[in-house]
Amino acid sequence: MNIPTRNLVTLLAFLALCLAGVSSVYAQTPGASSLEFPYTGNRAAVWIVAQFHTLLGAFVLGAPIFVVIAEWLGYRKQDLRYDRMAKEVTKITVILFSLTALTGGLFIFVLLATYPQFTTWLINQFYLVFAVIYPLMFILGAIALYAYFYTWDAWKGEKKGRHIALGVLLNLLCLATMFAINGPTSFMNTPVKEEGISPMEALAVATLWDKIANASWMPLNIHRIDGNIAFGGFVVGLIAAYMHMSAKSQEERAYYDWMGFTANLIAVGAMLLQPFTGLLLAYEMCDYDFSFCQYMMVEQLSMFFEMQGAIVGLMFLGCNYYVWLSLRRIQGVEQVRMTVLAPVVMVLFPPVAIWGLTTYWIPEPMSLAILIPLALAPFLLGRFIPMTVSVQTVMKVGFLMVVVSDAIWLTPNGFAATGARMVEDLKLPEAWDFIGKMPTKLGAILSLVFATTINYALYGKAIRQGTIVWGKIDGISQFVLIFLAFTSIWAMGLMGAVRSLLRKYFHTYNLIPDFTAESFTPTLSYSAWLITGITVVFFIVVSVAVFVALRPLELKGREPEGSPVPAGTK
Amino acid sequence: MGKAIFKLVIGLAVGSGLWFTAKALGFPSVFQWAFFIYAAIGTVVFLLLDIPSMKPQSGWGAAASVFLFFGVLCVGYGAGASLLPQFDPEDEKGKTARVLSSAKSGNPLDPWKADEVIQRTKELDEKVKELEARIKALGSGQPTVVQPERDPGPRTVGDPMKIGEEQWQLQECYNCHKLRGEGGKKRGPELDNIGTYLTVDQIKQKIMDPKSYMATGFEKEWEKGRMPDKFKDVMSDGEITALAAWLYTFKNTAVDTPIPVKKK
Repeated sequence: MNIPTRNLVTLLAFLALCLAGVSSVYAQTPGASSLEFPYTGNRAAVWIVAQFHTLLGAFVLGAPIFVVIAEWLGYRKQDLRYDRMAKEVTKITVILFSLTALTGGLFIFVLLATYPQFTTWLINQFYLVFAVIYPLMFILGAIALYAYFYTWDAWKGEKKGRHIALGVLLNLLCLATMFAINGPTSFMNTPVKEEGISPMEALAVATLWDKIANASWMPLNIHRIDGNIAFGGFVVGLIAAYMHMSAKSQEERAYYDWMGFTANLIAVGAMLLQPFTGLLLAYEMCDYDFSFCQYMMVEQLSMFFEMQGAIVGLMFLGCNYYVWLSLRRIQGVEQVRMTVLAPVVMVLFPPVAIWGLTTYWIPEPMSLAILIPLALAPFLLGRFIPMTVSVQTVMKVGFLMVVVSDAIWLTPNGFAATGARMVEDLKLPEAWDFIGKMPTKLGAILSLVFATTINYALYGKAIRQGTIVWGKIDGISQFVLIFLAFTSIWAMGLMGAVRSLLRKYFHTYNLIPDFTAESFTPTLSYSAWLITGITVVFFIVVSVAVFVALRPLELKGREPEGSPVPAGTK
Repeated sequence: MGKAIFKLVIGLAVGSGLWFTAKALGFPSVFQWAFFIYAAIGTVVFLLLDIPSMKPQSGWGAAASVFLFFGVLCVGYGAGASLLPQFDPEDEKGKTARVLSSAKSGNPLDPWKADEVIQRTKELDEKVKELEARIKALGSGQPTVVQPERDPGPRTVGDPMKIGEEQWQLQECYNCHKLRGEGGKKRGPELDNIGTYLTVDQIKQKIMDPKSYMATGFEKEWEKGRMPDKFKDVMSDGEITALAAWLYTFKNTAVDTPIPVKKK
């Protein structure tokens, strides 16, 4: 079976699954008891399928953004490496798109089997989205993706602009698909509500748009767009690492070294915004119902956030370490220097940010009036100060501040699973309890972002002033790329679990109660092992897709348009 | 090698310094060790900076290294998460089991009669007043402390105090309100003396409409609507009445419960 036929069959299978799933809602007997899923139980079964589908979805929605940016850069810079990278990633996206569709259909069936009444109710609430908009967007997206992929070679040269436009259209369709499905997803957390009337009454008078455009819909959209770009970038970094390790020649190693570097750069750029879009989502949810905030930050899920702090800190360390290793292959890096203000401000940033945010907490603008000039000082005032320091010194101070900032972020109010049952022996002393508060945490996050930005700015300067020798990167860097991809997938799974668990005794918050036997908050340990398992399965699937899509190219020898890039090319 | 040993010595010195400083500043031991671990992580990071370059791997050797690396990551994340304090799900399982057993026994939404709850509350209130009078007559001069029954035996459908306490647990009011020395005192007012200030109906009104009363000193929280406006929707009238009646029995004047101000 050739690739277009296989894709068509997959698409038709997805359509059949969706239609069968949605139409079975009407065939269902009200009050029918749900099944007990063998081995895992119902909740874990839904959790596994939903998260697996979400991970695939995140990649197939994030990768096209990454791909079109790369294709456009290649066109603008007339650098064939970008085009080759974009095409290779698209090839993998096509394979994973089919799997996303299949797991989407599977997800509906598992939901219908395990929680039939609730699923029926939710589909009825969003019938137009589930039966028309989402499948239609998915089909249009699939058509655009296949057209984009199969016109790659035909639309080059003067027609390249047309191909990029098709890529932009593909992205718009992908975004519309995500926005559509984020409606029911966010609705489950923050359904429509009106002051003075009950949630059921508010729901009765709500239009479909009211239900979609609920309190957490747009923050979730923003968080997911940003997250998908970062996620797509890290997964492309993983692909580059695999290919770098399996490269047979120095020119291939040079190309995949460059690919890993570019993917990591885009991913880190998006990752720097992630904590803030995540905070916006959390802020909106807390504003909707303050008990969400307690549950997340102080009570049952507080240690989930402790774990999040640990893994995000590791990601920041990982991406800075990648820069450190990358610097080793830049000839002339020893001559690159930076203003002394950079390390000085890096050291000053955590205490000033914590003080500023504690004194002038959001939305007071004074904190910005303090922090923005401080963050810009090395860039604006640096040129007026003659004293400079070496790249290594700046980066070492950066590493120190990343560790310190993450330590501040990680230090909780107390080492207890729930705040209500906190005892004195596990709690911060009264005089130091500001360490556990939100202004301190935000100050620490800002410091992490600032130190990383300085390191990447320095890296840019080193690339401009020195000569980068592609293919000569330290072998450890490929493990760093794998580590970053694994950790970002894991972090996504953890935070997705938090968002879903927030509803606690409800399928849809305050509307549809969930008093099934599994409606309790699971332990962090159980959740972590489950997330690890799902991450491993996702890794296996991506690895197989990479092998299927890119290895034949290696065996046959590549086409001339992705010409080899000699090592040493800048 | 000498550089690595030097870094290890520095790391150990910083870790020990943090450990002793934290001890001197009154941090509990768990924090002292946490700070030591942070210093250890920092040491590992600085050791990694000077690690010798590794030649690019390829072939089966690379595949084996990648597998091994995945194994380390999987065990590291799973085990790392397991080392943190774990919430005991039995707590919530018990709550769901109670709700499910109520549902089996009859009406799942209102298994308790509101009238019966109010009647029982009045009886209890009378008892409280009687006890207060007796204590005053004894001339103790101490503030009146009335605690609800701690262990009234097995719950019956008509036991409003037990139902009220169950609702307190089920709705997790303790997350924000301190009561009997337990719970989060800073996010909402401590409620041990609430029965002195509000009647059952007034407490009920506050639960159903959080904006109806404002605790003195909690103006910011009241302005921001920190108390969820959901209980009238997720609790039956009987449940709210039971909770209000149970809270009304708390008249511990030794506790500085903020005075509620009527706003609606």
